[in-house]
Amino acid sequence: MWRRRTLPAVVALLGVTGLGLITVGLTADPAQPPRPPADAPTRTQPAPDLAPLPRAAPVQVRIPAIGVRAEVVPVGADATGVLEVPPLDRPTLAGWYRHGVAPGETGNAVLVGHVDSPAGPAVFFDLGQLRAGQEIQITRADAQVTTFAVDSVRAYPKDRFPTTLVYGPADVAGLRLITCGGRFDGGTGNYVDNIIVFATRTA
Amino acid sequence: MKVSTALCSAALGVGLGTLLLPGAALADTTVSPATTPVGGTVVLTATTCNPKSGDAIFRVTGPNRDQNVRSTTAAAGGGLSAELFTAGFTLGTYTVAATCGDGSSAGSATFTVTPIGAAPAGSGGGNRDNGALAAGGTLLGGAAVGAVILFRRRRPVSAVA
Repeated sequence: MWRRRTLPAVVALLGVTGLGLITVGLTADPAQPPRPPADAPTRTQPAPDLAPLPRAAPVQVRIPAIGVRAEVVPVGADATGVLEVPPLDRPTLAGWYRHGVAPGETGNAVLVGHVDSPAGPAVFFDLGQLRAGQEIQITRADAQVTTFAVDSVRAYPKDRFPTTLVYGPADVAGLRLITCGGRFDGGTGNYVDNIIVFATRTA
Repeated sequence: MKVSTALCSAALGVGLGTLLLPGAALADTTVSPATTPVGGTVVLTATTCNPKSGDAIFRVTGPNRDQNVRSTTAAAGGGLSAELFTAGFTLGTYTVAATCGDGSSAGSATFTVTPIGAAPAGSGGGNRDNGALAAGGTLLGGAAVGAVILFRRRRPVSAVA
């Protein structure tokens, strides 16, 4: 007897709860990427005296502190001169700016990766959590693994992108990691900031 | 003895001069700014060229480019300058070697053409919570199975037969 009354109630409860969860799932706010604090400490140790490596494309980037282990593909710029990024449907890839130096060569090598995609957080989502001194390891096509230490992590408004600090010349082997951050502007479909990690080769 | 000392000193002087000249020559040509987004303009300056000797020629070489640019103005700080518009330049690093109007070398410098502005590296994320969607789908599936069972129980026996 009780089953005759209970089963319909259970079915109704399951249905209502299920619909509620699907509604929540479809309308949930996306996770916000971490933003580096403006007063985050900076690493100031001088670069060790290391012989520069010959040019070889990077093939993998590892950042143990934020659990990143990603394949790296070469990227350039689009027809309007804007830096290319890996396709949004492959959000786990990082891109290496192939017109610049390779990681380990003298100069600043540049890697770029999405902070998120329609599927959720992407390869560099947690870049803003990195702190001075943490390690970034790059595996190159010549099988050499070169290690960089984070000097600083900064957020820059996109209309004040520090071109010279990112692409400019350097006397030592440096690394720049770029992703998006800050507030997402639904009107333009873009984040208002770029998060940039500045790092120097240590091994 | 004095002759050999003088010769030795002269040789030393020539040697040192030879060693020092390339370094000094490198500073004779400047590019400002040293980094420009593609489409930007850089100013090439040969600081040691005398305008009275004629125009300086800046040879610009780099990724798929080898062109000569003639100086157009006397530089405020001395020497000769030209503006170079980088529209259409391939991204990368370029070398500028200057030659003065009298044929003497004025050294070289480099500049880098970079992408324009910021990196578009995000889409705003998906407005969905996949965990909630999966749980909701499972519960709805359970509700559907329960509804089928209920429907079958309530159908008349004759209809089943």
